[in-house]
Amino acid sequence: MRVLVFSHYLDLAGELISAGMGVGEVSLLLTSDQKDKLAQVRGARRAIVCDSISSDDQAALIDLLTEVTRDHDLLVLSSDKRARELAGQVAQMLERPIATEVSSMRSEEGKLVVERMTLGGKAIAVEELPLPAIVTVQKGKFKPPEGPSVQEVVEVKLGGATRRYEVVERRAKPKLGIPLDKAEVVIAVGRGFRRKEDLKLAYELAETLGGVVGCTRPLAADLKWMPEESWIGISGVRISPKLLLVIGASGQQQFSAGIMDSKVIVAINNDPQAPIFENSDYGVVRDLYEFLPALVERLRR
Amino acid sequence: MDIAVLVKQSLDVQQLVVDRSSGKIYLDEAPTKAGDIEINAAEEAVRIKERVGGKATAIMLSCWGTSGRRIKEARESLTRLLAMGLDEAILLLGSQGMDSYAASKVIAEEVRAGSYQLVLAGEGSEDNFSGILPGRVAAELEWPYVAYATAIEVSGNELKVTRSLEDYDEVISLRLPAVISVTQEINQPRIPTVLHIMKAAKKPIVQKEVGSFSPKVKVRELKTLKVERRREIIEGDLDESLEKLLKFLKSEGLIEVRS
Repeated sequence: MRVLVFSHYLDLAGELISAGMGVGEVSLLLTSDQKDKLAQVRGARRAIVCDSISSDDQAALIDLLTEVTRDHDLLVLSSDKRARELAGQVAQMLERPIATEVSSMRSEEGKLVVERMTLGGKAIAVEELPLPAIVTVQKGKFKPPEGPSVQEVVEVKLGGATRRYEVVERRAKPKLGIPLDKAEVVIAVGRGFRRKEDLKLAYELAETLGGVVGCTRPLAADLKWMPEESWIGISGVRISPKLLLVIGASGQQQFSAGIMDSKVIVAINNDPQAPIFENSDYGVVRDLYEFLPALVERLRR
Repeated sequence: MDIAVLVKQSLDVQQLVVDRSSGKIYLDEAPTKAGDIEINAAEEAVRIKERVGGKATAIMLSCWGTSGRRIKEARESLTRLLAMGLDEAILLLGSQGMDSYAASKVIAEEVRAGSYQLVLAGEGSEDNFSGILPGRVAAELEWPYVAYATAIEVSGNELKVTRSLEDYDEVISLRLPAVISVTQEINQPRIPTVLHIMKAAKKPIVQKEVGSFSPKVKVRELKTLKVERRREIIEGDLDESLEKLLKFLKSEGLIEVRS
């Protein structure tokens, strides 16, 4: 099977190549801004380099990806927002099936069989896709390959991509110290905190444990107490720390789906009926305003 | 401006019962509802209409069966959207086995049949959250597509869309017609009053059977997720529960603490 891999984030390409190597021979598509990293690529047989299009040019990438994908049985993309924006358009233009956020895949009698999370994280769907097909791969599920470096470099030219829109302004977002998805200890805060100033209780705990503070959707989206990058959940960041402390968050499904890969989950909430307790290893039914300062104090002792 | 809002009647995953021991997932028993993000999309359509005039129509494709109960749930969702200020609603009766390929063919056909210049959708549905459908519809219509909008400005034939990516915020300028998907940050949807809901009951909901497009993706199996949590509740007074928690964390090798 001929597999094409592309990601805007070259550090994710390793995982995608690894996923692709399981089902076929991999070619990695590199854009003008990515080609100088060619020597670091492992596991892909071939690199397809496009000198005229940069990875931040979404509007032009649609045409490039559609063209190059045509000659491949499978397109493997990452699961970030840019990739999702492209994936549906490329899939419809080539009339191909798609499966998003797959956690495993294998080929079976000319078909691709994938597993992916669905129903807000309550179920895994086993899906069968006829080839040619497109998948996006869930972050962190495949280990980047060791393997040899690229053996063949092919250049690709694209005659006049369609200008669908213009980016007139681009602002970098503020970055968190350690990204949430890489943190070993995460403190997730929810609506149980009554005021923004009270979040300092969580920051103190994070400091004591060497962790990072994240939050539920309402704190980032509605109250704007924390940056969007701190928002944990199916439409935010998915995390997989060794220890997650969920404080004052009820555990709505869309949040719970984002914390599933955590090793140990501790919930602190004063409502014994909160769904988060169903989804935790240890639950403390107590007022966070009483428990948190005591916990920090005890840890500092 | 003539706006179509794509609304999925999603399975209410919060109320979906899953029996981990038997592996049974009670799909038919769970209620369906319009996704929260699509309600944001509807609110944005109403706001655009209030600024520049025009008409806004909800297009809903039902894909959790067409039983009397499912149709009733779908019509209730649409009535609520009409009460928020949408003018009309179209309910397309799809089948449960539809994939995003077939669904976007059906939806694009309906959009083509109207005189829409703008299609608004949510960034992802509540039950599946693959976020693929709006892009597919755009490609099918051969319209430009911008995802993850947090603000939309309309002036004449031009749109200025602010959108939020993981690492950047971008402002994009494009011409109509276009497909835009929104995130929940874009607005705070209005809550319709009882009076609005009663009035909305008189607005039209057109129900249609849809053409058949065979799906490409086949769902072989739905499995319950095997993430077993210990679900231990730590009880006792403050000091006792602190000690118990720290003991657990220590035994898991997660913290070092002097006793």
